[in-house]
Amino acid sequence: MLLSLVSRRSLEVDTRDSYGFALRPQHVQRYREYARIYKEEEEERSEKWRIFLENQKESNQFCSSEEEPRQILQAAELREETISVRGQEGDYSSGRRSNFHGSEECDHYKEAQLADAPEKEVQYLEEQQKEQSSAEPGKEVQLSKEPEKEDQNSKELEQVVHHLGEPEKEVQLSKEPKEDKLLLKQSKAGKVQTWYGIRQSLRALEKMMSSRVKHTKNMKDNQITASRDHILSTKDAKLGGQAKDVEEDVCVKDTFDEKVKKTTEENTADNENSLELFFPWKEELVFLVHGGVPKDLRGEVWQAFVGVKARRVERYYEELLAEETDADESEDHGNSTDVARKWKRQIEKDLPRTFPGHPALDEHGRDSLRRLLLAYARHNPSVGYCQAMNFFAGLLLLLMPEENAFWTLVGIIDDYFDGYYTEEMIESQVDQLVFEELMRERFPKLVNHLDYLGVQVAWISGPWFLSIFVNMIPWESVIRVWDVLLFEGNRVMLFRTALALMEIYGPALLTTKDAGDAITLLQSLAGSTFDSSQLVFTACMGFLAVNEAKLQELREKHRPAVLLLVEERSKENRVWKDSKGLASKLYSFKHDPGSITEEKNNGEGGNSDFESPSSNLDALLGSPNVETEADLLPNLQDQVVWMKVELCRLLEEKRQAILRSEELETALMEMVQEDNRRQLSAKIEQLEQEVADLQQALSDKKEQEAAMLQVLMRVEQEQRITEEARETAEQDAAAQRYAVTILQEKYDKAMASLSQMEQRVVMAESMLEATINYESGQAKAHSPRSGHNQSSAEETPGRSMSLLKFGLGWREKVKGKPNHESAHSISSNEGKDCSTWQKESKD
Amino acid sequence: MGCSSSLPDRSSRRLSGLGNPESNGVPDAKNLRVKLVLLGDSGVGKSCIVLRFVRGQFDPTSKVTIGASFLSQTIALQDSTTVKFEIWDTAGQERYAALAPLYYRGAAVAVIVYDITSPESFNKAQYWVKELQKHGSPDIVLALVGNKADLHENREVPVQDGMDYAEKNGMFFIETSAKTADNINQLFEEIGKRLPRTPPS
Ligand SMILES: Nc1nc2c(ncn2[C@@H]2O[C@H](COP(=O)(O)OP(=O)(O)OP(=O)(O)O)[C@@H](O)[C@H]2O)c(=O)[nH]1
Ligand SMILES: [Mg+2]
Repeated sequence: MLLSLVSRRSLEVDTRDSYGFALRPQHVQRYREYARIYKEEEEERSEKWRIFLENQKESNQFCSSEEEPRQILQAAELREETISVRGQEGDYSSGRRSNFHGSEECDHYKEAQLADAPEKEVQYLEEQQKEQSSAEPGKEVQLSKEPEKEDQNSKELEQVVHHLGEPEKEVQLSKEPKEDKLLLKQSKAGKVQTWYGIRQSLRALEKMMSSRVKHTKNMKDNQITASRDHILSTKDAKLGGQAKDVEEDVCVKDTFDEKVKKTTEENTADNENSLELFFPWKEELVFLVHGGVPKDLRGEVWQAFVGVKARRVERYYEELLAEETDADESEDHGNSTDVARKWKRQIEKDLPRTFPGHPALDEHGRDSLRRLLLAYARHNPSVGYCQAMNFFAGLLLLLMPEENAFWTLVGIIDDYFDGYYTEEMIESQVDQLVFEELMRERFPKLVNHLDYLGVQVAWISGPWFLSIFVNMIPWESVIRVWDVLLFEGNRVMLFRTALALMEIYGPALLTTKDAGDAITLLQSLAGSTFDSSQLVFTACMGFLAVNEAKLQELREKHRPAVLLLVEERSKENRVWKDSKGLASKLYSFKHDPGSITEEKNNGEGGNSDFESPSSNLDALLGSPNVETEADLLPNLQDQVVWMKVELCRLLEEKRQAILRSEELETALMEMVQEDNRRQLSAKIEQLEQEVADLQQALSDKKEQEAAMLQVLMRVEQEQRITEEARETAEQDAAAQRYAVTILQEKYDKAMASLSQMEQRVVMAESMLEATINYESGQAKAHSPRSGHNQSSAEETPGRSMSLLKFGLGWREKVKGKPNHESAHSISSNEGKDCSTWQKESKD
Repeated sequence: MGCSSSLPDRSSRRLSGLGNPESNGVPDAKNLRVKLVLLGDSGVGKSCIVLRFVRGQFDPTSKVTIGASFLSQTIALQDSTTVKFEIWDTAGQERYAALAPLYYRGAAVAVIVYDITSPESFNKAQYWVKELQKHGSPDIVLALVGNKADLHENREVPVQDGMDYAEKNGMFFIETSAKTADNINQLFEEIGKRLPRTPPS
C-alpha cells in the first residue's frame, strides 16, 4: 500500500505525517507525541476488525465455497499473463493495483528496488488474483438473481472472461483503432481503468451497504433521470450538429439509467427493517467504525461503505475517458467543450496545488488525478469540477485504484453531497444556515460572544463543511471523521464534528477580545485537534439529537431563503455578463480587431453567448481560428453595423436593468423585513434572558426574605421568653407580697396578744397592788401575833415580794420602751425584705 | 446589506469597516483594526500575496483555497499609527463567488487581484469591482492589484489598462509579485495610508 511507504519516508522527512501529508512546523512536536497513541490505537482496532471479519467470514462461507475449484484454475491461468505484463510495465498503476490488496511491499516507488525479487512479486500478484477471481463469482451469483436478464448465463461468462482477460487485453487492444489512440494518448490509461472488487472478507459489509445505495437511488430515481434528461437536452442543443457525439453520449447515459432502474427494481423488495434483520452485526459495526477503520483496510472498507460496487457500471469510466480524448481531437470549439475546457483549465491550475509535495502525487499520480477529475466532470456536468474535489479525489487515490476512486467520488458527490458543489452551491449555503441555528441552540453563550465580536459562525464553518475538514484539522482526525461520514452515508457527521469542535474550543473562544483573535484562535485550535478519538467520540456521542431527520427539517426551513438569494444573484449576474460581453468585445477589438468577425459570426448563429459569455471570451482570446479568419478583415461598414446592433442590445439591457433594479428593491424590502424579524427574535432572546435574570433576582430576594423572617422569629421567641420570665417574676412578687401580708397579720396578732398581755399585766399589777394593800392591812392587824408565825410569814412574803419585784421590773422595762417603736422596727424589717425582692424582680 | 448576500448577517451593521467600537480592539485613531478581503480569479496568487505579506515567504506550490482562509498582520506606518489587517483570503473559482458576500460584507478594504499574464483574470477583476461597488460598504477602500509582475515576458494585460481602469473607478492600483516580494509591503502600506482616519466615536 502506498501509505506504508509513506510512513517509512516520514521517518526521514519530519515534516510529513504517516499519510505523507505536510505538517505545519508548529505541529511537528505535537504530532510526534500523538504518533505513539495513533500506533497503539491502530493496533487495537486492527485486532478488533480482524475478529469481526473472521466472524463474518464464518457466517458467509457458503457463498463462495462452490466456486473454489474454478478459481484456482483461473488463478493458475492468469499467472503467466500477469507476469508478462508486469515485466513490461512496472508503472504506477500496476504498482497501485498490487498495493490494493494490502501487500506491504508493492508500490511503484519500490518497484525499482524490488526488481531483483520478482518471485516475491509474482507471489503477491497470484494471491491477489486469486482473491480477485474469488470476488467476481459473487457478483455472478448476485446478478443471476435478476429475472429480467434472459441470457444471463452467457453474459456472466463473458463478463468473467472479460474481466480475467484484462491484462492480456491491454496488449491486444492496440488492434482497435480507437482504443489505440486512447492508449497512446494516455500511455497508462488502459491499465488504470481496471476495476478491482474488494477482498472476500469485506463482502458481507459491502452487501449491506450496497442495499443502502439502492435504497437512496430508489428515492432519487426520478430526479436522476430528470436531471440526466435535462443534461442531455442542453448538451444536445449545445452540440448542434455534433450528432456523433450526442449519440455516444446517449449511449453512455442510457447504460447508466438502465443500471439505476435495474437497481431500483431490485430494491423494491428491500427495506430498512430487512436490513437490520439480515445484518444483526450492524450494531457492532457502528461501534467499530466510531473507533476507526484500520489503515490497510480503509480503502476497501470505504468502497464498501459507499457501495461502489452497486454503483458501478461496466466500462462507464473508460467511456468517459474516451469521450475526453475524442473531444480533444475533434478540434471543434462549440460551447459544450468550452464548458469542459473551463473545468479542464481549473483542474490544471489545481493539480499542482493539491497536496503539494506529497510523495504519491508525482507525475503519474497527477495524471491519475487529472483523469479522475475530468471523468467526474463529464459524468456529472451539473457539478463539473469544483475546487475541493481535487482534495477528495487525491485522498481517495491514495487508498484505492483509479476507477474505484472514481466510483467512490461519484457516491460522495452525487449522493452524500448532492447539491453541494454545483454551480450555485445551494445545499452548502443551506447547511450553513442550519449549522448556525444549531449553534444558537447548543451554544447560545458562545454565539452571543461571537455576535458581540462581529464574527459569523459561517465564516469558519463554511470552509470546514466545504472541504469536509481536509486541511482544516490534522489528517488522522480528517480520516476518522470520513470513516464515520462514509459509513453513515449522509452529512450528519459533518455537523456533529463541527459542533464537537465548538464544544471543545468554545470555552477558549469566550476569552477572546476581538474578531481577528477569535478567528485566528479557532483556526489554529482546530488545526491542532490531534486527539482524533476524542473528536470522533464527542461528535458521535455528544450530539445524538442532531440526526438526519432533524437536519432535513431544518434544511426545508432555510432552503427558500437561499433559493431566493441564488435567484437574485443569477439574474444580476446575467445582466452583468451581458454588459461584460460587450466590454470584453471592445477590449479584444482594441487589441485584435480580427476576432470581432468571429464573435459576430457566433452572434448570428444564435444568442449563445448569453449562456456563457466568459467562455466566449476564452474562445476569443485563445482560439486558433482567429488566425484563419483574420484574413477576412471586416470593413468599417460591418463594424458600424455591429456597433449599432450592440447599441440596441445595450439599450434593451438597460431597460431590463431598470426593471431588475425595481425587482431588487422589492427584494431588498423583503430582506429588510426578514432582517427586522431576525432582529426581533434576537431582542426576544435578550428579553427572555432579562426575564430569567429578574427571576433569579426575585428568588434571591425571596431567600433573603426568608432569612429575615427567621431572624425575626428568633427575636420574637426571645421576647416571649423574657415575657415569661417577667410573668414568673411578677408571680414571685405576688407570692412575696402575700407572704408580707401574712407576716403583717402575724405581726398584728402578735401585737394584739402583746396588748392583751399588757392588759393582763395591768390587771396583774392592780391585783398585786390590791394584794399588797391587803397584805399590809393584814400585817398591821397580825403584828402582835407570835414570832414563830412571824418568821414563817416573813419567809413567805419575801418569796412573794421577789416575785412581785420581777413583775414590776418587767412592767417598768416594757413601759420604758414606747410600743410604737418596736412596731416600727418590725415593719422596717419587712420593708427591707420587700425592697430586696423588688430588686430581684428587676434583674 | 447586499441583495446578493448569501447569508443574512446580523453583525454587518455593527462591524462597520473600521473596527468595532464596542469591542476592545480599536479604541483610537492611532491603532486601526481593518477587515480586508482578497478577491479575484482562481490562481492569480491571492494566497501567495497574503503568505508573502504575513509570513514573508513564497511557496510556489501553495494550496487551493477552499471557501476562505484567515490571517492577520499588523504594520506600523510612518506617522506612527499601527494598522492590524484582518485578512480574508477567498476562494477564486467562479461558483465560490456565491459565498463571497459573507466575507466582503463589512470589510473596510477589498483587494482585487488579477494575473498580468491572464486577460481573463483581468475581466474577472472588473466583475469584482462592480460587485463591490454595488454591495460592499459604501466607504470601502478598493485596491486593484496586477500580480505575477515577475512574469513580464508573458504579460498580456498592459500596465496602462490596469491603471486606466483603476483610475476610472477611483481605486488604488499597483503591480506586485508574490514571488519576488515586489511591492507587496507597499501595497499594504498604501492601503493603510488611504484608510479614513476618523476615529470611531
Ligand atoms: N511567477 C509567479 N507566480 C505566482 C505569483 N503568485 C502566485 N504565483 C503562482 O500562482 C499559483 C496560484 O497562486 P495562489 O496564491 O494559490 O492562487 P489563489 O489566487 O489563491 O487561487 P485560489 O486559491 O484558487 O483562489 C501558485 O501556485 C504560484 O505558483 C507571482 O507573483 N509570480
Ligand atoms: Mg488561494
